[in-house]
Amino acid sequence: MDVKGLTRTEAVLAALLVVALIAAGVGWIQTGQVRTETMTKTVTTTVGGAAQTITVTNTVTSTSTVERIIAPGTIKIAVVSDIGGRGDLSFNDMAFKGGDEAVRDFGVEMVELISKTEADYVPNLETAARDPNVKLIVGVGFLLSEALLEVAQKYPDKNFAGIDTFTQSLAVGNLGKPLPNMLDIVYEEHKGSAVVGALGCLVAAAYNEAGGNYPYIGGVFGIEIPVLWKFEIGYKWGCDWGLKWYEQRFGKKAPIIGEDSRYGSGPGWANGLYCPAAGECWYKGRVLWTYTGTFSDITKGYAAAKPMYEQGAIAVYNIAGPLGLGINQAVQEIATERNLANGPPFWIGVDANQDWINPGFVIASMMKRVDRGVYYATLLTVIGKFRDVVAESNGVLTLGIGTRVGRLAMEGISVSTLADLDEFIQMGVEAEKLTGKQVLPMPPEQIRQKVTEMRSRVPSWVWDALTELESKIRTGQVDVPMVLTKEAVDSWREKLG
Amino acid sequence: MVSLTASPSTRLRRLLLKLGESLLAVVIGLIGGAILMLLYGYDVGVAYSALFRGAFGDVSGLLETLAFATPLIMTGLTFGVGLRAGLFNVGAEGQMYLGAIGAIMVGSMLRMPPLIHLVTATVFAMFMGALWSLPTAFLKIYRGVHEVVSTIMLNWVAFWLVTYLITYQLADPTRAERALPVQETARYAVIGSSLTMVFPVVIALALVTFFIIWRTTVGYELRIVGYNVEAAKYTGISISKSILTSFIIGGLLAGLAGASQVLGRPPHWTVFATMGNLINLGFEGIGVSLIGRNHPIGIIFASIFYGGLLHGGRFMEFEAGVASELVRAINGIIIIALAVPGALQTFRQLVRRRGRGGEV
Repeated sequence: MDVKGLTRTEAVLAALLVVALIAAGVGWIQTGQVRTETMTKTVTTTVGGAAQTITVTNTVTSTSTVERIIAPGTIKIAVVSDIGGRGDLSFNDMAFKGGDEAVRDFGVEMVELISKTEADYVPNLETAARDPNVKLIVGVGFLLSEALLEVAQKYPDKNFAGIDTFTQSLAVGNLGKPLPNMLDIVYEEHKGSAVVGALGCLVAAAYNEAGGNYPYIGGVFGIEIPVLWKFEIGYKWGCDWGLKWYEQRFGKKAPIIGEDSRYGSGPGWANGLYCPAAGECWYKGRVLWTYTGTFSDITKGYAAAKPMYEQGAIAVYNIAGPLGLGINQAVQEIATERNLANGPPFWIGVDANQDWINPGFVIASMMKRVDRGVYYATLLTVIGKFRDVVAESNGVLTLGIGTRVGRLAMEGISVSTLADLDEFIQMGVEAEKLTGKQVLPMPPEQIRQKVTEMRSRVPSWVWDALTELESKIRTGQVDVPMVLTKEAVDSWREKLG
Repeated sequence: MVSLTASPSTRLRRLLLKLGESLLAVVIGLIGGAILMLLYGYDVGVAYSALFRGAFGDVSGLLETLAFATPLIMTGLTFGVGLRAGLFNVGAEGQMYLGAIGAIMVGSMLRMPPLIHLVTATVFAMFMGALWSLPTAFLKIYRGVHEVVSTIMLNWVAFWLVTYLITYQLADPTRAERALPVQETARYAVIGSSLTMVFPVVIALALVTFFIIWRTTVGYELRIVGYNVEAAKYTGISISKSILTSFIIGGLLAGLAGASQVLGRPPHWTVFATMGNLINLGFEGIGVSLIGRNHPIGIIFASIFYGGLLHGGRFMEFEAGVASELVRAINGIIIIALAVPGALQTFRQLVRRRGRGGEV
């Protein structure tokens, strides 16, 4: 055995390597970012000066006036990101956008804390909570659930909110009761999924009218956890609703996807419909669906989506986060093969507005308005109603379609529109500045143009149907099933396939 | 300079010299950071005072700083012990991943009485870390493969292996994003903030390492190999045994670093599929070791300083609005300024050794 010493070259390389490794380790190459500007806006003061009046214009429906309890000094809110950080074009960017809007409308000040690793969650929340001016701390993303439980317990006089978190159910499990100062903000994904389900099947109907052959829509899911059942059944239910709407509106079954007998036969089946009981019929089997068992392996998104498109799915819904890129790859492959400038095939985005990722091929996105969550949590803090809402709701604020808190409509689920697109393109432009990497696939004007073109190809009655569904959900005329248990999901799969 | 024993006064002088160099580097680093902040228009005074008050100004800040320092002490020592034996062991990263997964295996999957569970999980984690250092050691001893090459390659093997295990074998069925958290019986008691009893364990092991390297025959031989392989061989020291010892000690310590993030860090008590709560702790150990002059005691203090930067950075962000990316850049400048004299000295040693030893 003979161990050789280092040669000069080796030594130089080794020394350089050490420096390089350290540099890489601490990430010193990353460049800085401009500080967030905060500005204070005066609000109209009523006579006497004991209370202030704020007018809140709600994006969806109502304009209401609420009393503001005057808080001495500046109110600060703190937004703590998860490890996605700024520039993720999703949860974190949306949360900060909501914070910016709260700054603009309520005259609060916002402080941002970006978490670099999971170990940063607790100290970041705590740093914010220790500032006497900070009244509200928002944690973005369910990854902060445990950290919020720990810090919210320690600072009982501060308000805490979490986007998509389940801190209160942890609190009930660990402490026996919910925390009085913590608000989990959750979203009605089943309702949004129903709307995009209807969109998918009606787009199929529309293209089939024009001579297309699209008997299916598809859904690519992540790991089969109960949360995803909400998406799955909502989506399938929405497709059924859409095809029934078509039947009523046009007095006939939707071509191919509505009438064909390929979906099943035997007991209970009649004219392509499955009727388990008298007077109860379902458009069963119109949705091709796969649980990929992963939220990270993008190639599985591709592998699941490709056969769906081959079988004639017009659109595939992405309910597996980054796997959407795999779905997009399958779409892009078909587009290149057939030299298409526009879908079909399409895919459907989730959480954020993903329409810009491949303009012309993403028919729409089911959006969880994280920004609204931050905005409403701030509003409740400013008007002094935060604790009341926590007490009334056991600490869980649900935002969806037609959700309200007292007199205020507080919604948080919507299907992407052209107006949203502009906001997200702007976000993309900022992310490009922030990271120095190309984010947008093409210049903003071109994205806008392609998406507008794609949407205008879809007949207006499709969009009318969606508006109708949304308003019926809002008024309670229709009830989208919210599935959380194995029994329920099985019974719905029996009806809808 | 390069004597293994020296008179007390020379030792003191050398110690003060090293201390002075490290302090100078801190100052240079802070000035560099200040220049960077001025370029971006931040208030340097507010930022630095926020940084240091946040990290060291009160008990809860200090506890948090120590929590960030805990894994760095171990991964720093992995590199430091390697360097004492003349090795560039940059494998702490991968060995730490294995340690973390070992802690999960025992801590989450097995049921045991309280204290025994904790000890078993810790020991198994260290064992896994050591196991992952063996291929490098054997490749070095029997095939002369340079440890920088093999450790870097094995770091990636460890990364994907552990990703696979977290995603498919040890995943939490209700929480897809992470591995099963360890049971309460396998958790170190919380002292305050994010600091747990794993910290005293880490300090104790650092002191044990100090004892082994400076007060035992094994350590003496290891250091001689580090100073001069030929001389060591001539005096009958088994080079391969010393190399193996150095890798195993390093692996054990890196394994504990991984375990400390699982068994000794609230509130998650697990590893995420992204491994976000582990990544870079091994590499940051290299910088920490260089600041601490590759000496166990120095590494403890360097880790606490660096942990302070990691924790205090958020106060710069919070109070002075310094963007978090800039916080990392400032940390980087300080580390580079600190590392340069250490790296230069190491470099000089290597050049000198080669010049003196000829075909060593």
